[in-house]
Amino acid sequence: MTAPLLSIEDLIIEFDTQQGRRRVVDGVSFSVAQGEVLGILGESGSGKTLSTLSILGLVPGRPGVVSGHIRAHTDGGEVDFLAELPSVVSGGTAERAYQKDDRRWQRIVQRTMKPYWGQFATAVFQNPKQSLDPLMTIGRQLDESVSLADPSLDRAAVRARSVDWLRRVQLHDPVRVAASYAHELSGGMCQRAMIAVALAREPRLLIADEPTTGLDTTVRAEIVGLFKALLRDRRRAMLYISHDIREVLFLADRVIVMRHGKVLEETSADDLRHGRGRRHPYTASLLEAADLPVGEAA
Amino acid sequence: MTAKWSDLGLRLSGAVVVAVMVVGLVALVIPYDPADAVSYDSLLNPPSAAHWLGTDGQGRDVLMRLVKGTEAFFLPGLMGGLIAVVLGGLAGAYTGYASGPLRSALVGLLQLVDTLPRLVFIILLCTIRNPSIPLIAVVAGLLFVPTVATVVRRKVEALASEDYILAHIAHGFTPARILLHHILWLQCWPLLVRQAAFVFGYVLFVETGLSYLGDYGVQEPDPSWGNMVAQVKDLAGAGAWPWLAPAVAIVVTIASFLAFGNLVARKGEEALR
Repeated sequence: MTAPLLSIEDLIIEFDTQQGRRRVVDGVSFSVAQGEVLGILGESGSGKTLSTLSILGLVPGRPGVVSGHIRAHTDGGEVDFLAELPSVVSGGTAERAYQKDDRRWQRIVQRTMKPYWGQFATAVFQNPKQSLDPLMTIGRQLDESVSLADPSLDRAAVRARSVDWLRRVQLHDPVRVAASYAHELSGGMCQRAMIAVALAREPRLLIADEPTTGLDTTVRAEIVGLFKALLRDRRRAMLYISHDIREVLFLADRVIVMRHGKVLEETSADDLRHGRGRRHPYTASLLEAADLPVGEAA
Repeated sequence: MTAKWSDLGLRLSGAVVVAVMVVGLVALVIPYDPADAVSYDSLLNPPSAAHWLGTDGQGRDVLMRLVKGTEAFFLPGLMGGLIAVVLGGLAGAYTGYASGPLRSALVGLLQLVDTLPRLVFIILLCTIRNPSIPLIAVVAGLLFVPTVATVVRRKVEALASEDYILAHIAHGFTPARILLHHILWLQCWPLLVRQAAFVFGYVLFVETGLSYLGDYGVQEPDPSWGNMVAQVKDLAGAGAWPWLAPAVAIVVTIASFLAFGNLVARKGEEALR
C-alpha cells in the first residue's frame, strides 16, 4: 500500500438535540491511500455520511462536539483539519461561544478548509438534480470548475476542456449537454455531469456519498461502471459511501462496515468477494441478503 | 389570475413603463423655458391639433409640461431604485452569510431604519434641509434598503442548505462568487426587479405628493405632475385638462410600475421553480 492520503482517527461527532447530547459518530478511524478506493458500507443513520462530510467540514447544523483527528497528507506535508479548528474541539469557552452562533463555526471551518476544498477533496452527493445549480447551464458550472483547477486557461480553452470532461463521463452529445440546465436532463445525466464538475476540479480525493441513490437500476449500474472507468488510472483516491454491498464490492479495494456510528470491521474487498476470513455477524447478514458468499461468520 | 390575464397585464404595464422611460429620456434633452411658454392668447384651451392636451391657466401647453414634468422624478426614481436594490442586495447577502459584531451592528441599523415612518421622515428631512428631489430620492432609496435586505437575507439563508450550494463549497468555489453570482444574481433578480419598480413608484408618489402640497416639491413655474394637479385649486372648475391629464398620468404610471415589477418578478420566480 502506498502512503496514506487521508487518515481519520478516533473521530467523534455529537449533536445537541432536545433529548440531550447524541453521539452519532463514535470513535471512527480509517485511512485512504493515494489512488485507493475505500468503500464505506452501512445503513442509513450509521454515521457513514456524517464522518465523510466532516472531512470537508460540511457537517450540517451544529455539532456539539467534534474531536479526533482528520489528517490530510498533501504535498506540503501533513495537516490535521480538526487541530486547525481548536475552538470546536470539546470543552472550553470557545466551544460555548460557537454554539451560540453556528455561522461562526462555518466561518472557522471555511478559513481552515478553503485551500483543501476542491483541490484536496470534493464530493458528489445523492440527488444529482439538486446538486447542480438550477439556474446555470451545465457547461458554465463546469467552466467554473475547470478555470479554478487551471486559472491560466482562456475562455475558449476552458470551454473546450469542459466539453471534453462531459465526453469523459460518457455523455453523448456533450455540446448539447453543456448548453442544458439540470432540469432538462435525466437524473443519470445529471449525476454524470456532477461527476464531471467534481473531477474537473482535479481533486486528489473524491468523496462519493451514495451517488446512485434515487436512480433507476440500469442507470445505477452505468454510474458505478463510470466510476470504475474514471478511476482506472489510479490518479485519484475515492471514498465510496453506499448501503449497497454489490456496488461497494465492485468498486472498492478495501471496505469498512459501519453501524450505529462505529466501524464494525475493515477488510479487503477481495476477501469479502470470495468469502474469505471471519465476518462480523452484521456484515455476514449484509452478504447473505445480497446472496453473496458469507464465509465464516464470527 | 390566469396566465392570459397576467400576460395582458404584463404587456400593458410594460408598454407604460417603456413609454415613461422613453419620455423621461426625451424630456432630458428637449429645451423648455416655462417663462417663454406662457401665452395669454390661449388660456385654458381645449385639446386641439396645436395643443393635444390643451393649455393650462397661463396658456402653457399641457402635453409639453407633462413630458417635461417627468424630469422631476425620472432620474431620481431610477437612482432611488438603484440605491435600494444595490445596497439592499449587498446588505442582505452579507447579513445572510456573515456572523460577528459587524453583522449584528448592520442588522440593528437596518431594523432601526425599517422602523422609520418613511413619508414622515422625508417631510421632516425637508424641513431641516434644503429640500431637493434628488436628495429625497436618495433618502427614499436608503429607506427601502432594509426591505430589500430582508428579502435577500431570507433567500440567502434558505439557499445555504441547498445541496448545490454545499456542492459548490465542496468544489472550492469562492464564497463571494457563490453569494454574489449564484445566489444574489441568479436567484434574487426577480425580487430585486420587484423592489426596484416599487421604489421607483414610491419616489414618483413622494415627488408628486410634495409638489402638490407645494412647499417642498418642484416649484412653479418648473413643471411637475404634482404641481400641475395642484392647479385644480386655482381653476375653479374652469377646465379639466390641465389637472386631469397629470392626475391620470400619476395613477397610471405608479400602477404600471408596481404591476410590471410584480408580474416580471412572478414570471421570473415561476421560471426558477
